[in-house]
Amino acid sequence: MTPQFQAFMFLGALLLLITIFLLLKKGMMTIKYSLLWLGLAIALVVFAAFPYVVFVLRDLLDIQMPVNLVFFLMFCFVLVVLLSLSIAISQLAEKCKRLTQANALLEQRVRRLEEEKRG
Amino acid sequence: MNNPAKILVLIPCYNEEANIITTVDNLRRTCPGVDYLVINDCSTDQSATLLRQHGCAYLDLPVNLGIGGGMQCGYLYARNHGYDVAVQMDGDGQHDPAYLETVLEPVLAGQLDLCIGSRFIKKEGFQTSFMRRVGIRFLSGLIFLLCGHRVLDVTSGFRAANARLIHYFADHYAIDYPEPEATLAACLNGFRVGEAPVIMKERQGGVSSISSFKSAYYMIKVSLSLIIDRLSIPRLPRRPGSKKGSAQ
Repeated sequence: MTPQFQAFMFLGALLLLITIFLLLKKGMMTIKYSLLWLGLAIALVVFAAFPYVVFVLRDLLDIQMPVNLVFFLMFCFVLVVLLSLSIAISQLAEKCKRLTQANALLEQRVRRLEEEKRG
Repeated sequence: MNNPAKILVLIPCYNEEANIITTVDNLRRTCPGVDYLVINDCSTDQSATLLRQHGCAYLDLPVNLGIGGGMQCGYLYARNHGYDVAVQMDGDGQHDPAYLETVLEPVLAGQLDLCIGSRFIKKEGFQTSFMRRVGIRFLSGLIFLLCGHRVLDVTSGFRAANARLIHYFADHYAIDYPEPEATLAACLNGFRVGEAPVIMKERQGGVSSISSFKSAYYMIKVSLSLIIDRLSIPRLPRRPGSKKGSAQ
């Protein structure tokens, strides 16, 4: 890893970290979904600040270029995030379905009650 | 039909302005003793207006859920109002209310928990296109493979479910094209499933919700969800006195 790339990575990770905190502060993201992103941002900061960690991991996995390891890990991480989003969407869809059904049942009940009241 | 059992006919309706009123009138004329409920799945045509003008009993879903979510809503209604039997009947005029009793009978007699109106037992009336029959045959075979129970007309939307199954469907019902999945889930959960011969008509107007373009996607998705169901539902023994095959 060149020092330039290291600095770039460090700044980028820091920017990501700040963005997440801002989003959390403005209430635009819930803690539940921010945890994964915070994990990534912190890992990137650690990689940029202490390249030694990357070199050890590179030796462990026997990868030629340390930077490839960083890319690989980030790709894996993005997969995890995408998977978690799919899970979240499925759960939301189920909740949305249940709400729609409850709403339709209530609407029918109100309509019937109104008709009865009108006589 | 002078039966003490509370019966509810569920009619899903998505953009069926051409057929829905005829279907409801037909049903009211043929079977005056049963309640019915049209489930308008957020139709974009005049279905909702027509239903209101004609004073039909209907549910109005605020967003489109697809046939499964809509039917489940009907089962929730049936459960909340303590119905003994819920019968699904398509809103496009394919299902003749004259056969309602045929489909209901095994359920009312306590022989079956789920009775499916099948066009393939007597092979009379509208038999659908060749490609669809191949697809239905395949799904039927897959369901036989997964639960050891032969159901011929797995995609038939003309089916009667008793109170136990109403409770089950109110909590668990597949979303998109749910008939084969509901059939398998009922079999795997130890419900007694069978078929009764009915004659179906070709749809009276409007367009079917399954276009040929989507059918490959449909087959893959349904097959996969059937296999997933088989893996996720612990298999229960069928209750004693169960009747295999069709209830004729």
